[in-house]
Amino acid sequence: MHFAVKFFIWGNETDANVSCCSRGAVTVGLPPAWVDVSEEIATNVQRARTKMAELARAHAKALMPSFGDGKEDQHAIESLTQEITNILKRSEKRLQQLSAAGPSEDSNVRKNVQRSLATDLQNLSMELRKKQSTYLKRLRQQKEGQDGVDLEMNLNGGRSRMEDDDLDDMVFNEHQMAKLKKSEAFTVEREREIQQVVESVNELAQIMKDLSVLVIDQGTIVDRIDYNIQNVATTVDEGLKQLQK
Amino acid sequence: MVLVTAARDYINRMLQDISGMKVLILDSQTVSAVSVVYSQSELLQKEVFLVELVDSIYKSKESMSHLKAVYFLRPSSENIQHLRRQLANPRFGEYHLFFSNMLKDTQIHILADSDEQEVVQQVQEFYADFVAVEPYHFTLNIPSNHLYMLPAVVDPSSLQHFCDRVVDGIAAVFLALKRRPVIRYQRTSDIAKRIAQETAKLMYQQESGLFDFRRTEISPLLLILDRRDDPVTPLLNQWTYQAMVHELIGIQDNKVDLRSIGDFPKDQQEVVLSSEQDTFFKANMYENFGDIGMNIKRMVDEFQQVAKSNQSIQTIEDMARFVENYPEYKKMHGNVSKHVTLVTEMSKMVEERKLMLVSETEQELACNGGQGAAFEAVTNLLNNENVSDIDRLRLVMLYALRYEKDSPVQLMQLFNKLASRSAKYKPGLVQFLLKQAGVDKRTGDLYGNRDFMNIARNMARGLKGVENVYTQHQPLLFQTMESIIKGRLRDVDYPFLGNHFQQGRPQDVIIFIVGGTTYEESRSVALENANNSGIRFILGGSVILNSKRYAMNHYKLFLILGV
Repeated sequence: MHFAVKFFIWGNETDANVSCCSRGAVTVGLPPAWVDVSEEIATNVQRARTKMAELARAHAKALMPSFGDGKEDQHAIESLTQEITNILKRSEKRLQQLSAAGPSEDSNVRKNVQRSLATDLQNLSMELRKKQSTYLKRLRQQKEGQDGVDLEMNLNGGRSRMEDDDLDDMVFNEHQMAKLKKSEAFTVEREREIQQVVESVNELAQIMKDLSVLVIDQGTIVDRIDYNIQNVATTVDEGLKQLQK
Repeated sequence: MVLVTAARDYINRMLQDISGMKVLILDSQTVSAVSVVYSQSELLQKEVFLVELVDSIYKSKESMSHLKAVYFLRPSSENIQHLRRQLANPRFGEYHLFFSNMLKDTQIHILADSDEQEVVQQVQEFYADFVAVEPYHFTLNIPSNHLYMLPAVVDPSSLQHFCDRVVDGIAAVFLALKRRPVIRYQRTSDIAKRIAQETAKLMYQQESGLFDFRRTEISPLLLILDRRDDPVTPLLNQWTYQAMVHELIGIQDNKVDLRSIGDFPKDQQEVVLSSEQDTFFKANMYENFGDIGMNIKRMVDEFQQVAKSNQSIQTIEDMARFVENYPEYKKMHGNVSKHVTLVTEMSKMVEERKLMLVSETEQELACNGGQGAAFEAVTNLLNNENVSDIDRLRLVMLYALRYEKDSPVQLMQLFNKLASRSAKYKPGLVQFLLKQAGVDKRTGDLYGNRDFMNIARNMARGLKGVENVYTQHQPLLFQTMESIIKGRLRDVDYPFLGNHFQQGRPQDVIIFIVGGTTYEESRSVALENANNSGIRFILGGSVILNSKRYAMNHYKLFLILGV
């Protein structure tokens, strides 16, 4: 897109073909120490993103028909989920360290960096939650379809209907026995999955609760640039007043 | 989307090629231009971690050399002076300078001389020198707006300053749109003519290269009008959502400051009303107050359903769903609170000030006939203890504008009654308004009683039985737009400038009202644009008026001229 802009270069008139962007001998200065913390968190965010992609692949693999008992796939999913949740938890704790005391320009920069990273972490938390949710839904659809057995996904109770029936009085044929064995194993597996989901959701809920204080609500007054400028002005003024005391 | 998109694109271009942590430095005008089209969270995504005003940089002495500075300023002499001082003692690592309008050569020399430490990496012009509050509505937020009514002899340099600002703003709009218009102006207005001439001079002579976009389509039309041709619209109380909020509380750069009308919790003291970001507002901004009430109730009901389901978290699935939806829930909660608060407060004001009663008479004064009945109605309201001073003033102003030539005795009686009831308004203010915007000064057929077609239309309306007596009024602008669509805007009233001419209808029309626009008018424009007539209208003005600001403009001028 071409905009009607005029472009100036100054310096000697003879330097007509000086390029625009790498002028001058001044280098950008060294950042303050807290930037190390923010960079660490940013790196973690990247790692979490990579792991998230791996998790998506693991989910897809687990949903495909296989000959094995799927334990390996399960294990991979569990450990990846745990890893990502841990990264998020640690990052969120580190993020608290960016909170700055005392009004100053630097503290405003810190606050903004903190808000930006909080948004990234929140987005990742939500993405993890959605991926889990989708995976479990698909898994449920699949298992129910396969066995023709309606296993109620009551994640709170987690009791299979099978246990309620009085099995002792029933006599099973071979086919039924096989089916029964499979669904028993399935139930145990199911319970472990549920347990992991419970823990993960708890942890995510806590992370998101902590983050929500930092994240900017889009479209509200705190998302206005002019509102943020006013706050900078007043905090710097207050800081100066305190210094003068 | 046009103006909003253009402004956003400029800002994106400023930020895109500068890596690392940045500070954005604005002035008091560009901060408005940027804040209505760009958000803080978007700045954070671009690694802008600090925003400051150019005149408060000096307050801090911290070294911030790890930040790159991006300046976006109007090319005013004050800003150039600020930059001189700041370049002499640079606090930031790099300096990227962007200006919202054309720089003079002298200004460039000053900056070049000041850059002794060679910190400036680039200097560019990005023409976002206007505040795009809506896709088809912009303002220039000119502080001393009342100057438009100042006779040239009184203070020629202030008037020149005003005209320069308007011409700069209009020029920026056309540079952003990449078009050069054909220009028409309201014949009876000296200032409209002057602005038309100075704009043409800039676009066709002084900077003709910059404005020569070599477009083959038909040129857009720039029509310059004077507020005084329709002094009624800004005086009327409003009953459609956006206009009503501005009239009763006040909107500035799409923000509403509720602190002036009461005490509110911190997160509700200032709220944002932007059609770009708030879908409820977008759907309701032009609707009647009664309909708004119903729509808000529906929104509250929906929200309470969601809230209830959030409270009963019994299963892990419930909790999981809550976690997933929490940000949306939070946003919804904030939005519902905002609209409920606005409508509640406005309902209170309507009740306290008896605005339905007042407004009924206002609409009669603006739309229908009957001088005798009007006189009686206004007198009664002046006598009513509950009616506030500003409303009394408005009623007398509206009466005077309508019936200035009928029954001078009764008119004088009303002036006296106003003076005795409302001590704070100097006597003579209303007469002053008449001198500025009386029937002898106006071009348009404001009350539709000059033109036969208008008379007929008014009669037809009256007979049909207007749906809502409070929203009968159509601003004069509506008729002007209709004339343009029909290709019947009269040359004798709105001549072309110099040798400008246009065969056939334009496709894009920018209407600029010197003295200010109103939200009732921007609503007309939006509704007209939705009709797909083949013409796209954009409306702009020096400020966005409500009745208080409008009356205050007259008052300020009245004091200056010592009438």
